[in-house]
Amino acid sequence: MGHTKHNPIVRALFNDDDIVLSAVKDLRSNGYNVSEVYSPFPIHGLDEAMGLKRTRLSTAAFFYGLTGLFFAAWMTYYTMILDWPQNIGGKPNATWFLNMPSFIPVVFELTVFFAAHLMCWSYFAVNGLYPGAKAQNPDPRTTDDHFLMEVELEGEEEDLNAKLQALGALEISKIEA
Amino acid sequence: MHYESPVRNPLILGDKSYTDITNDIAKPVESKAPRSWWIAFSIAFIMFLWGVGCIAYTIGTGIGVWGLNKTVDWAWDITNFVWWVGIGHAGTLISAVLLLFRQKWRMAINRSAEAMTIFSVIQAGLFPLIHMGRIWMAYWVMPIPNQYGSLWVNFNSPLLWDVFAISTYLTVSTVFWYVGLIPDFAMIRDRAINPVQKHVYKILSFGWGGQAKHWQRFEEVSLVLAGLATPLVLSVHTIVSFDFATSVIPGWHTTIFPPYFVAGAIFSGFAMVQTLLLIVRKIFKMEDYINIEHIEMMNIVIMVTGSIVGVAYITELVIAWYSGVEYEQYAFLNRATGPYWWAYWSMMTCNVFSPQFMWSKKLRTNLVFTFVISIVVNIGMWFERFVIIVTSIHRDYLPSSWSMFSPTFVDIGIYVGTIGFFFVLFLLYARTFPVIAQAELKTILKSSGENFKKHHNDHGAH
Amino acid sequence: MTENNKYWKGIEDQSNPELTEKLAQNEFSNEVSSADFLGNDDAVQTETSRRDFLKFMGFSTAAATLAACEAPIVESIPYVVKPDSLTPGMPSYYATSMFDGSDFASVLIKTREGRPIKVEPNGDAPFNGATNARAQASVLSLYDGARLRSPKVNGEATSWSAALSAAKGMISASSVLISGTVLSPSAFAAIEKLGLRHVSVDAVSQSARLDVYDSFAGKRGLPMIRLEKAQTVFAVGADFLGDWSGQNFAAAYASRRKPGKGMLKHIQAEAGLSISGSNADTRMKVRVSEYEAVLATVYNAVAASKGFATVNAPKLRADIASSVNAAAKELIASGEGALVLNGLNSKVAERLALAINLALGAKAFDTTTFVYTAKGDDKAYAQLVKDIKAGSVDTLVTLDVNPAYGLKELNLEGVKLVSIADREDESASQAAVALPLSHYLESWSDYVPADGQYTVGQPTISPLFDSKSAVEILNGLAGGTESAVELVKASAAAMASEKAWNALLHDGFAQSEIAEIAMNGAMNGEMIDVSGINVAKPSTGLEFYTYTKAGMGSGANANNPWTYELPDPITRLSWDNYLVMSAADAVEYGVEIEAQSNGAMNGTTVNITVDGKSLENVPVWIQPGQTQGTIGLAIGFGRQNVGKVGNGIGVNAFELLPSSSALSTKVSVAATEVEHGFASVQLAHTMMGRKIVNEISLPTFLTESPETWNEKPTFETHKGLMSAFEANLWDDHDHETSHMWNMSIDLNSCTGCGACVVACSLENNVPVVGKEEVRKHRDMHWLRIDRYYSSDMTKEVAEEEGVSAIEKYAKMEVPSESPSVVFQPVMCQHCNHAPCETVCPVGATVHSREGLNHMAYNRCIGTRYCANNCPYKVRRFNWFNYKGNEQFADVNPSQDDYGRMVLNPDVTVRARGVIEKCSMCIQRIQIGKLEAKKDGRILNDGEFTTACAQACGSNAIVFGDVNNPKSEVSHLKQEGRAYHLLEEVGTQPSVFYQTKVRNRA
Repeated sequence: MGHTKHNPIVRALFNDDDIVLSAVKDLRSNGYNVSEVYSPFPIHGLDEAMGLKRTRLSTAAFFYGLTGLFFAAWMTYYTMILDWPQNIGGKPNATWFLNMPSFIPVVFELTVFFAAHLMCWSYFAVNGLYPGAKAQNPDPRTTDDHFLMEVELEGEEEDLNAKLQALGALEISKIEA
Repeated sequence: MHYESPVRNPLILGDKSYTDITNDIAKPVESKAPRSWWIAFSIAFIMFLWGVGCIAYTIGTGIGVWGLNKTVDWAWDITNFVWWVGIGHAGTLISAVLLLFRQKWRMAINRSAEAMTIFSVIQAGLFPLIHMGRIWMAYWVMPIPNQYGSLWVNFNSPLLWDVFAISTYLTVSTVFWYVGLIPDFAMIRDRAINPVQKHVYKILSFGWGGQAKHWQRFEEVSLVLAGLATPLVLSVHTIVSFDFATSVIPGWHTTIFPPYFVAGAIFSGFAMVQTLLLIVRKIFKMEDYINIEHIEMMNIVIMVTGSIVGVAYITELVIAWYSGVEYEQYAFLNRATGPYWWAYWSMMTCNVFSPQFMWSKKLRTNLVFTFVISIVVNIGMWFERFVIIVTSIHRDYLPSSWSMFSPTFVDIGIYVGTIGFFFVLFLLYARTFPVIAQAELKTILKSSGENFKKHHNDHGAH
Repeated sequence: MTENNKYWKGIEDQSNPELTEKLAQNEFSNEVSSADFLGNDDAVQTETSRRDFLKFMGFSTAAATLAACEAPIVESIPYVVKPDSLTPGMPSYYATSMFDGSDFASVLIKTREGRPIKVEPNGDAPFNGATNARAQASVLSLYDGARLRSPKVNGEATSWSAALSAAKGMISASSVLISGTVLSPSAFAAIEKLGLRHVSVDAVSQSARLDVYDSFAGKRGLPMIRLEKAQTVFAVGADFLGDWSGQNFAAAYASRRKPGKGMLKHIQAEAGLSISGSNADTRMKVRVSEYEAVLATVYNAVAASKGFATVNAPKLRADIASSVNAAAKELIASGEGALVLNGLNSKVAERLALAINLALGAKAFDTTTFVYTAKGDDKAYAQLVKDIKAGSVDTLVTLDVNPAYGLKELNLEGVKLVSIADREDESASQAAVALPLSHYLESWSDYVPADGQYTVGQPTISPLFDSKSAVEILNGLAGGTESAVELVKASAAAMASEKAWNALLHDGFAQSEIAEIAMNGAMNGEMIDVSGINVAKPSTGLEFYTYTKAGMGSGANANNPWTYELPDPITRLSWDNYLVMSAADAVEYGVEIEAQSNGAMNGTTVNITVDGKSLENVPVWIQPGQTQGTIGLAIGFGRQNVGKVGNGIGVNAFELLPSSSALSTKVSVAATEVEHGFASVQLAHTMMGRKIVNEISLPTFLTESPETWNEKPTFETHKGLMSAFEANLWDDHDHETSHMWNMSIDLNSCTGCGACVVACSLENNVPVVGKEEVRKHRDMHWLRIDRYYSSDMTKEVAEEEGVSAIEKYAKMEVPSESPSVVFQPVMCQHCNHAPCETVCPVGATVHSREGLNHMAYNRCIGTRYCANNCPYKVRRFNWFNYKGNEQFADVNPSQDDYGRMVLNPDVTVRARGVIEKCSMCIQRIQIGKLEAKKDGRILNDGEFTTACAQACGSNAIVFGDVNNPKSEVSHLKQEGRAYHLLEEVGTQPSVFYQTKVRNRA
């Protein structure tokens, strides 16, 4: 997300999701780089408009799930078959496979457990979310009803400002990178 | 931007803007608690303390202080356990399943529903613990490497499956819930004036900023979690039903249990959500968000699941008769006509007959009636579990061991205590948490907000 | 337990106790503190030099050290030199004899580290080498803390010499010794030496019957019954499987009840449902006052067939007349095989019984050998009552009898009392001199229980308290100084000269030839002069009688928790006695019994008056099979001064009826408002038409194949029809190699006596939980004996009459008014597909390679899931900390310093919150296996067995290894009668039952 190019950033504040969305499209079509948009709620189609890549969290979740599955399988095998095989109600325990039907519930639960938790931790990690972290949005209004757009300044500042005004920005400010 | 057909009633009433939503939802958190809240809270707290006392007495003296005996070794403890788990399920179903089905009407209620899930699963989890003769050995149900040599848990036991199911369920629903809460905490953080409050919500909100990428991940994670939670919630009650279905006791050993338990869970869960929402929307004046539309939707679900449960009951009877198994037949005859006939028929009345009123739109849109039914259903579902557990084992194979069960004040005290505990948690939540997922709600304001819809219908599409 | 030894704290203590005492008081005998002592110059000038100072310091230190070391309270002393006969951890057995005034048994006592912990039958003994519930329980009475701990004079504890001299001072020529039945020759010698008039009286009097044989054979005993020679037994009010003549019939009865040609036919006529009545093939409900008439009717039938003189017998009620005549025919038909037993303490009845037996030449009725376990003489007793009233008796010496409780006719104000008793009971507490009597496990004694039988009793532990054996006390009163062992040795030398003393002690008994006795008159029916007999007319009103319970018996163990905890075999009630009443009478007197919401039973109480004496608020139990118009009450209860266990439990039947009278017809009963709570372990009394106890009739057994009357459940599978053992979801674990422990329980032999239940409790330290808990169905017995009544409603009846399912099951719950009764011992079935094992989350209960269902108490966390999932409901949960919780302080032996000594060290005492259950006495299996291993040989069948199997007199329970083709159990498994309980559930139990066969069409 953070853009490496050291251009000054222009911040524009909007008060409507539809306007922000169209503004982003417009600016990008004009070769501007919309580096960030802070919004109080997800705006559908914004990520495509900004040209963001699809997140790979779901793929990660799948592999986390697999980990859980194999861990559970190993645990049941080690405890019930290898380390401490016992005659429990006459149930067969010669091989893991014979005893497997009894293990399905636990295996399933652990799969879900691993997938869900590890994914959430990853999610917090990549978003830099942790208890007590300082607020990442520059303007508190963006969690209420305002939308803040960050555009990298390329070319004349006036042009951009004018453009933003035209696109319906309420406030415009420039911060040096 | 897609717009909803005018046929659908608006989900958000009144002339609302994004700020209005913010204000309305932040109000309970920022304003002083109303008197009604304090009254409710103190009642709940007293009940809770009573429960704590009874549990302490049980642990100090022995399970003998309950009404159990050599034949009926489970009664109220496991009844309450299953009852609470069942209630818990609605929350997950509302947030997860309805999310998968893109049911927008869920947005107003899923937050509270999930809260209810977590709080009721906490109550549920209590019972398998305190029903143990030696609770101080409870950690033995975990496969912990130990110095006893080869000593592990028994993965054949449904009770152990429960341990994994319930703990997974509790933790996963908690993170699911929290992920959704973070943006709303951020909202409160950003408008908080009181520095203490600001600091607390700063911690709770994990520094959320609402960047586009974060929202993208947010939605992805919510979707995947929903996808995981849905089979999870089904599995949990399936596994709970295995406690009985895999046994050999007539009336327990029943293959219909998994679907039947899940239906029952949705049934009781929705009823409980209904009860809570009707209270919340009254106390916190959220009629615009939790409106008659939602109530009606819920009632329809209650009616349908109620009927499913009814079918299950009848199926059981038919199968018992058809099986030709002596003990099976008697078990069910005994349920309906034996010493516990009253429990069976209360169950039937509350669960099968009462929801049928919901066929009439007039009744299912009547708040008072809805409230009454929602309570009735939960009573009925408690009786269902009591009937399944006690009436099955109190007369099983050998008449020589037949017995009866009647609760002691401790049994009752612990049950009441958990109800108190549940409401203590829920009321605290209602005062400190955004009870409605405002970020989500804002996304549907334009499509389902009353004023926008009107405007849209009057002026046609832009 | 130990005498207070003096332990010296060191040599100083021994040599100079005063000094050490003083030093102990103040550590630093020298007041001068070292600081100013050294600082002070003129101190140095004093005679106290530095050396002295050091001396003082040194001594003070030593003194301090001395004062510091406290002598520990010694509760047990380790062996310095181990007795040769004793290996810690290994039991030693001693043969001895048990006699408590009514029960006699030749037993083996198992001791551990010198503590007797178990009573086991002495199989070699020719007479009563078996144990009933009371004999099994008797060991706990030894450790009864309520026993008298030292001799007392006027309530003051004193020495034996003082007490004896005080007693001697009171005894004069006009003193009387009253005792229960005395069987001991050595005691008789002492009594003779004492020279007092001796009156003996029994709790259950047989006096009138004894008189008959006194005049008939010149012997005051009851004829030996050779049941094995009987073909048809007709018992009239004689509960010979419970309490009758003191003879133990379990083994003989069982051997004659083996199904097949010539199986013993058992007909019972009685008022109250007894153990014998429950086992009978035919049972008729007869009033006590009709017993004589019934016997007379039978006699007349017999006499008619033999052409003897008849007696004038009152006409019998129509509904019993036919069955009595039928019985008479059967008796006549079986001729010498016939046997008639009379249970009524009446000359007429006994003479008729004798006449019938002689007339038929009954082989089983041995009139040459007599049993002497009851010798009480009511005439002598009546005379004593008169004399005391007349004031012609100054001192009454009571030997192990309790007149204040059991002999209400005696006016004790009139006499001084010298009580020889094991506790300060109702009498001893008001005695001038109380002499503590040792428990039989502490005493030397000898007995002649029957003609030709001589047995000795040897102590298995030195007296716990300052008590002495009966013979020693009596001898002491007579001025003798010999020790008990000398006295017994002496009489043994006389009685069993042919057997060496050591051999006698080893075996516990000696047999001798029975001297021929001259019968007065010829051995045929004629010689009983029946002309004199005039049979009393049966009463029509309400009549009252007393009886004995399997647990309590005549009341010798009235402070023994096991006596009370053992449920009555018939009513299944524990911790109570109560009036038994027929349902019809219950309606008439407004008596009801109803189950509470927690399954506990509550019933109406009544005020009852018998012969002008009355009791208030007596509980009533409505008893199926009880003859209408009769009410019975068990004796031995209602004690006031017996100890914390027995005090105030039940009511004292002797308040209403003296032991000398068999019944009373002057009875009135009135229901009260007061409710009584029963402790019932069984709530449902019928089998609900289920195949639980498989019962068939003899003809069926003889003519039809087992497939028809013992049909095994089968399952339709894709592989075809399969039995419950074949229909499997998986391949079973290997149970062919090594041992496979199985148990066979023969429902035909089991009489329901309850000996196994008590034996199990002893062997496995099963906690006693008391009335309130039993009432809540929380009895802890690992082994229970289910009792089922037949119901008038059956599936067949419902089929015919087209009764609805609901009504059918409702009616099936109601027992018949004249039920046939079955008993079924149920313990853990050790299922090979055990439902309990699968569900335990922590694997606390798993299966052994030898087919046992293990229970690891330490691992159990107490979810009770296993108990719920057990189809047999044999798992027991420790609801409380029974060994610590004060709620159980009065009843549970393990809460008593003495009671704790009876615990079996081989078995864990279970903690609160864990499940326990039958382990098939795994500790015995283990010892057996180890013994065999030590000898390097294969384990033989019958080397050891479980406690229940061992205690079972009728050998109904057989335990062993089915993988050993030679074992008895493996043969029994092949029997046609063998079946598994709830086989269709597919649990594949290791316990199996043998179909009950009743000898009737």
